[in-house]
Amino acid sequence: MLTFFERELVEKHKWLTHEEFIESVAIGQMTPGPPIINTGICIGYKLKKIKGALVTILGQVFTGTVLAILLAIFYLKAKNNPLLGSIMKGVGAAVVGLLLSIVFKMARKTIKDYKTALFALAAFFALSVFKLNPIGLILASGILGLIVYGRETR
Amino acid sequence: MILLKFCWILIVVNALTIGGGFVMLPMLHKEFVEKYHWLTNQEFIDAIAIGQVTPGPLTVMNAFMGYKIYGLLGAVLAMISSYLPCIIIVTLVAKYYYDYKESVIVNSSFKGIIPAVIGLLAAVSISLGKASLVDFSTFGIAIVSFSVIAFTKIDPTFVIIGAGIAGALLY
Repeated sequence: MLTFFERELVEKHKWLTHEEFIESVAIGQMTPGPPIINTGICIGYKLKKIKGALVTILGQVFTGTVLAILLAIFYLKAKNNPLLGSIMKGVGAAVVGLLLSIVFKMARKTIKDYKTALFALAAFFALSVFKLNPIGLILASGILGLIVYGRETR
Repeated sequence: MILLKFCWILIVVNALTIGGGFVMLPMLHKEFVEKYHWLTNQEFIDAIAIGQVTPGPLTVMNAFMGYKIYGLLGAVLAMISSYLPCIIIVTLVAKYYYDYKESVIVNSSFKGIIPAVIGLLAAVSISLGKASLVDFSTFGIAIVSFSVIAFTKIDPTFVIIGAGIAGALLY
């Protein structure tokens, strides 16, 4: 997807320089929210300010949103249909597999030493055993990160 | 009132979705399913599946949940609330890129958040697994889908569609 963006925006239309494109990708990855959307917002903003940012979001999510709404209408209507029930039983199981594979991929990339492992394990037990609120836990891990890594990052 | 609360949760959650789109799931699960009971575990899992098979980011699932909770208005407001924090944060960061990139506060807090969210996602996967892995076949489907997505380059969308077909044939 990114190579497609790069070819269209940088090479074909010359709307952005290569550096601006790389910077937008980096910003997409280090800001909260879906990286691809954020890269899009950033490129849109560089081209046409806030109007550009809004148009890029619309372009990226419009089709998916309309489809999701149509599926929601269908889903609520067909809720008690036995065939939909059995399809969703299979789908639900696959979603659990999908989530675990995302966990696996993220862990392979991020968990590199005992500190990162401790952060992950502490968060896991805080949610699964102690039922603490994930929003609070993310804020807390940010503060802990600041305490643990603040000095060495400087 | 529900609608306001719903939008506010999405704004907060999306501002804290650090480390990839899936990071929003533990937070949304806690708020929507466990705290306010707007969705059941099964509906939440179905929403994830729909976010995955529709084009665009996983966030599209918020439109599905919004529709379930509050109809068309809920769906539209869900999307606006999900992207509002992104627009604000990204445009600010684009302006002050070098300060942001070098910021000790941002870098060191993210260093704590990124491994922590893996633990959160693992915990929520297990609790959703308890709801949807009910017998031998569903366990089998989950193991196959895990292996395929973790170790091959096959798009998860196909895995989910395949599992739907398997479900229709098995049950």
